[in-house]
Amino acid sequence: MAVLDANASEPVSKGVQSQARTAWTLTAPALALMFLILLVPICVAGVLSFTNYSLGNAGFDWVGTENYERLLTRTTYAKMFVATFTYVVTVVPISLGLGLGAAMLVHSLGRVGDIYKTIYFLPVMATLLAMAIAWEFMLHPTIGMVNRTLEMACGSWFEVIPFIAHGCADRFPLWLGDKDYAIWVVCFIGIWQGFGFNMVLYLAGLTSVHRELYHAAEMDGARSAWERFRLVTWPALGPTTVFVVTISCIRAFQVFDTIEAFWPQGGGPNKSAYVMMFAIFEKGIQQNLIGIGSAITMLFLVFVMVLTLIQRWLVERKVHY
Amino acid sequence: MTRDWWKHLVLILGAIIVLAPFYMMVSYSFKSPGEIDRGEGGFFGRQELMVDERCVALRDPNRDEIAAMAPQYPGLSDNDIRAVIVAEAEAACSMRPIAFNYSKAFTEAPLLRYLANGVIVTVSIFLIQVAVALPAAYALAKLKFWGREAVFGLVLFCLLIPVHAIALPLYIMLAKLGLTNTYAALVVPWTISVFGIFLMRQFFMTVPDDLIDAARMDGMSEFAIVWRVMLPTAIPALLAFAIFSIVAHWNDYFWPRIVVTGNRDLFTPPLGLREFKGDGDGSFFGPMMATATVIVTPLIVAFLIAQRRFIEGITLSGMK
Repeated sequence: MAVLDANASEPVSKGVQSQARTAWTLTAPALALMFLILLVPICVAGVLSFTNYSLGNAGFDWVGTENYERLLTRTTYAKMFVATFTYVVTVVPISLGLGLGAAMLVHSLGRVGDIYKTIYFLPVMATLLAMAIAWEFMLHPTIGMVNRTLEMACGSWFEVIPFIAHGCADRFPLWLGDKDYAIWVVCFIGIWQGFGFNMVLYLAGLTSVHRELYHAAEMDGARSAWERFRLVTWPALGPTTVFVVTISCIRAFQVFDTIEAFWPQGGGPNKSAYVMMFAIFEKGIQQNLIGIGSAITMLFLVFVMVLTLIQRWLVERKVHY
Repeated sequence: MTRDWWKHLVLILGAIIVLAPFYMMVSYSFKSPGEIDRGEGGFFGRQELMVDERCVALRDPNRDEIAAMAPQYPGLSDNDIRAVIVAEAEAACSMRPIAFNYSKAFTEAPLLRYLANGVIVTVSIFLIQVAVALPAAYALAKLKFWGREAVFGLVLFCLLIPVHAIALPLYIMLAKLGLTNTYAALVVPWTISVFGIFLMRQFFMTVPDDLIDAARMDGMSEFAIVWRVMLPTAIPALLAFAIFSIVAHWNDYFWPRIVVTGNRDLFTPPLGLREFKGDGDGSFFGPMMATATVIVTPLIVAFLIAQRRFIEGITLSGMK
């Protein structure tokens, strides 16, 4: 090193310069692709959302904010927002709660619990489209396993439950064909698929909570399990929770596979499961209404980015609530 | 154990719900259409010989064939000969339901081709992602240059953008370039993994500078350092990233659905399954579930073999 230092500043600055050149060469492909694949499309969508462009047309007209106005006034899009937010607001908290609950149970069982960890993680790995089709069969009104199992309860004391009694007297729900059930079934499958992922994240968080903290809390008079959870576990899992909420929200916003598998046309009975990704697909790609599709894309990006920024802000403040 | 019985009870109930569709999928792939309709036969079905009606219908003899066969069966009327031929066809077309379902899965649609496409697409995506991300990550972690902070800031910003969300403008750009319905369309949008850059950069930060300085002393170029020094040290992180990337793209349905329309030669496994569902009537539940099983199995088996690595890989984005 001394030798290098001895021959003065000239070669060093040359070295710095050549290092800068290699650095730019090394980052160039990544930078170019980032611009072309991530940034340019956002600008394209932004511009096209103010036009009535269609693929195959030579040109387009500027229509101002007409596309956005449509999004905010037409009932179809009102249904789209309702379906999307119903899905997000249902799936995120429930899959978080189930993930946390499962993680705490599995964690307290020690090595025996690993088998449950494996099982609960299976849906995360499986191709969602294939599993959606499997669920569709399970929920088939006449030959599906769900309604068959429910029918077995007929004539037994289970009939005290109004839902079962009603189903036995009349018929059990059509599930996917019923506008009152459709979106909830999709939510259920979203939860089924995602809570194992949250569980694994929480398990990683739980192993990092120090045992001494529990002892200390007990010393301070936190006798019940609930008190210990409230005072030690939940705050210690704060960062994990922030992450779980954000990633679940982003995933929930992007729900598509199940909807398209169940209702390739139209997004569910009475458009009750017409989520944003499906709307982008249907309007922008199938119907070639690029303008309105781009407007939905822009709104979608805004939602997702705001969510992620909130998460980063919370993490940077190292919030433990 | 005795104190924990209620925990096991809750977890087992959960496990039943989690496993139910898997159970049903595999079970239906074993059963005959009749058993599926009537909901009988347990998990494996009875595996009684069944007759493939379509296969028999294809062999239904016409007048000329009956006439051609007449010399072999002297003294039989045309109708009797016909009955003999049909009986032969039925014998030739009967098989166990499990064989029927899985052979239909591979013959009704070019499932092997779909699986090969899935492998081609996921592997090329992963390789290109690494080829692009690794040098950039090295530069961001270990080289000092003017603008580094800006580049890294850009990486952090791009982490906010889910590629699925910008599918529409990407599709328009690819359509303008005439690239829809090509392998390129399936691969190109995923070639840049900002997350991969970020992850590798974090990993490279922990590699000691001495290692790189020693390599420079040996006269290695920066490019050689990336591939011959940094790549080997990054194997564990790369493995986790590989699992993350391959699982995501093997299972992806949205993007292939957009850019591949109609050209079956380019179908990925989920698209193939979707098409099967689209044109299948009720009697094809068995073969369809066989297809689904074939598509889901590779990842599940790999997961069961290397659980720890998979969980690491999938939850990678959660590790900070």
